[in-house]
Amino acid sequence: MDLVNAALAVVKGLPLTLLLAVSALAIGAVGALPVSLGLQSRHIVVRLLCRLCVDLVRGIPIIVWLFVLKFGVVVGTFKLDALQSAIVGLGLVSIAYLAEIYRGGIQAVPRGQTEAAEALGLSSRTRLVHVVLPQAFTIVSPSIATYFVGLLKDTSIASTIVVAEMVFQAQSFARQNPTLAGLLPYVIAGGLYIVLSLPVAFASRRLDARLRRAVV
Amino acid sequence: MQLLADWASYLPSMLDGLRISLVIAVISIVAGYALGILLAFGVSVRLAVVRWLCLAIVEIGRGAPALVILYLVYFGLPKVGITFDSFTAACIGLSWNAAAYSSEIIRAGVQSVPRGQLEAADALGLTRRWTLLRVVAPQGLRSAIPGLMGLAIQMFQGTSLAYGIAVPELMKQAYQLGSQNFQYLQVFVLAGLVYALVSVPATWITVFFEKRLGVHRA
Amino acid sequence: MALIEGSALNAERVGIDLEHLSKRYGDTVVLDDVSLHVEPGTVTALIGPSGAGKSTFLRCINLLERPDSGVIRVDRHVIEPGKLVTSRDLAALRRSVGMVFQSFNLFPHLSVLENIVFPQRKVLGRSREEAQDRAHALLSRVGLADKANEHPGRCSGGQQQRIAIARALALEPSIMLFDEPTSALDPEVGLEVLAVMRELADEGMTMLVVTHEMNFARDVSDTLVVMADSHIIEQGDPRAIMSDPQVERTRRFLRAVLER
Repeated sequence: MDLVNAALAVVKGLPLTLLLAVSALAIGAVGALPVSLGLQSRHIVVRLLCRLCVDLVRGIPIIVWLFVLKFGVVVGTFKLDALQSAIVGLGLVSIAYLAEIYRGGIQAVPRGQTEAAEALGLSSRTRLVHVVLPQAFTIVSPSIATYFVGLLKDTSIASTIVVAEMVFQAQSFARQNPTLAGLLPYVIAGGLYIVLSLPVAFASRRLDARLRRAVV
Repeated sequence: MQLLADWASYLPSMLDGLRISLVIAVISIVAGYALGILLAFGVSVRLAVVRWLCLAIVEIGRGAPALVILYLVYFGLPKVGITFDSFTAACIGLSWNAAAYSSEIIRAGVQSVPRGQLEAADALGLTRRWTLLRVVAPQGLRSAIPGLMGLAIQMFQGTSLAYGIAVPELMKQAYQLGSQNFQYLQVFVLAGLVYALVSVPATWITVFFEKRLGVHRA
Repeated sequence: MALIEGSALNAERVGIDLEHLSKRYGDTVVLDDVSLHVEPGTVTALIGPSGAGKSTFLRCINLLERPDSGVIRVDRHVIEPGKLVTSRDLAALRRSVGMVFQSFNLFPHLSVLENIVFPQRKVLGRSREEAQDRAHALLSRVGLADKANEHPGRCSGGQQQRIAIARALALEPSIMLFDEPTSALDPEVGLEVLAVMRELADEGMTMLVVTHEMNFARDVSDTLVVMADSHIIEQGDPRAIMSDPQVERTRRFLRAVLER
C-alpha cells in the first residue's frame, strides 16, 4: 500500500515535470536559432559576444540561474513566481545548449549544397531557410532528442525553488512518511525518470551494438 | 560601488564554499572515472550476471537525475539503516553519476578505435589481452579525453546540487549570506560568477585540447 | 523539344571575357594573370593537370571564388572583383550563369521535381504551374521524366547529374559552366551525361567545361584551353593541339593522360 501511495504522490508531479521540459525546449528551440547564427556571424564582435553569452550561461549551474531568477528579479512589484522562474531559467539554459547543437548541424551540411544554391542565384535568406536548415535539422534531431532527455532530468532542479514537480512531490511524501516508506518516493521518482529516458537510451545502444563489433 | 563592497564582504564565505565544492568535485571525478573505466568494459563482458549488474549501475546512474540520487543516498538510505553525513552522501551520489556518464564516454572512445587496428594486431599474432591493453585502450582513452574533460566541468557544476542536502558548498553559503539581509540577487549573481570563473576557462581549455588531440588521428 | 527554351532561345548568344584574373591563398598562387575570351555559342574545354587552377578559374566566373584582381565580363555584366560587388549585381550575374558540379549537389530533402521547381520560383518568380511545366519538360528531355517524384538519393550518379543539368537549365542561363561533370561517375554512366552536354552544345549554348574526358574535349569543343601551374599554357583548335602540342608541358600532360 505504501508503494501505491508513494507512486501516486510522485505521479502528481508528472504534469509539471512535462510542462517544464516541454516549455523549456520550446523556448530553447526557437531562441537558439538566432544565437547559433550569431555564433557563425562574419562580424567578429557579434561572434565573440554570442560566444561569451553562451559560455557564460553554460558555465553557471542551473540551480544558480533558478535562484537568481526567483529571488533576484524584482522590478517594482513584479516578481517571477517559482514556476515562471523555472521555465525561464531552463529555457535560457536550453537556448545556450541548443545553439551549440544547431551550430554543429549547420556546419555539417556539405559545402556543395551552399555552393549549388549560390550558383543558382538564391538569396542568402532562401539558402538558409530552404537549403541549409532543413538538412541541418535532420542531422541534429538525434542530438536534440538526447538533449530533451537531459532536460527532463534537469526539471528536477526546480524542486529546490518549490515547484511542485515530481521530485518535490517525492520529498513531501518522504517528509510525511518518516518510516521505511520514506525511501520509496525517491526510488519511484528515479524509476520514472529512467522509464521516460529509456526509449532514447535503447535506440542509442542499438546503434552502438552495430559499431561494437569493431572492437571487443 | 556599494555592490563591490558587499561582494568583497561575501567573498570569504563564498570561497570556503567553493573549496568544498571543488573537493567534492575532485573526489567524485576521481572515484567516478575509476569506476567508469571498469563499467565501460563491464557492460560488454560475456558473463550475464556481471553484464546486467553493470548495465543497471550505468543506466540508473545516467537515467535518474543527480538530485534524485543525492536525495536517495542522503534521505532515503537512512530508512534502511544506512546513514551518511551530507558530505559523504554528496560524494557517493555524484561519484555514481560520474561513473555512469564517464563509462559511456570511455566506451564510445574505445569503440571509435578503427577495426583495422585489431585486425593488424591479430595478423601480427599478438594476444587479445595485450592488444586491448597496449593498442586499443591508449587510443580509446585518448579519444575520450575531451568528453571526460567536459564531464568534469559538469561534475563541478553538479556540486551545486549538494545544496539540497545541506552541504556547506558554494550555493549553500550564497543562500545563507542572502538570507541575512535579503540581498539575494547580489549574492547569487556573485555565486554564478564564481562558478563561471572556474567553468568557462576550463571549457576553453577543453576546446583547445580537443583541437590538439585531433592531430594524432592515424 | 529543346533543352534551351523561353527567353534564352532567341537571345543573342553570349560570350565570356575574363581579363587578368589573379588569386592567391596566403603564399600560394592559384591563378596567375589568366585571361580568356570565349566566343558566343561555342564550347570551350579546359584541361590540364590537377592543381593547375582550372576549377578555381571556372568558379571565378560566377564568383563562387573571388579573384583578387581582374575583370569579368559576362553578357552585360561587368564585375571587377577588386572593387565592391553589390549583392544585386551578384544575383544578376548568377542568373545568367548556370553551373554543374562534380558532386551534383542536388538538394536531398526535396524531390527531383521540386529541385527544379524551387529555384525557378525563388529566382525567376515563376508561378508553380509554369515552373512545374518547365521542370517536367526538362526532365523528359534528359530522359528522366519518371523520376520526377523520387528523391535524389534514390537516383544513380548519372541520373543525378542529368537532373542537375536540368536544374541549371531551368533558370535559362546564357552560359553554362561544367566543373568536372563526369569525374565522379563510372565511364559508362558518364556517357549519358556527356550525351546531354553534346545536345546542349548542338543547340548553341555557350559552354565552358573543365574535364578529363579527352574524347569529349576533342570531338565536341570548339576551343581547347590547357592550364598548368596557375596559367594558360596553350589554347586553340582541339584536334590540332591534341595531335601536335606546341608546348612541352602540354605534351607531357597529354602523353600521361592518353597512356592510361
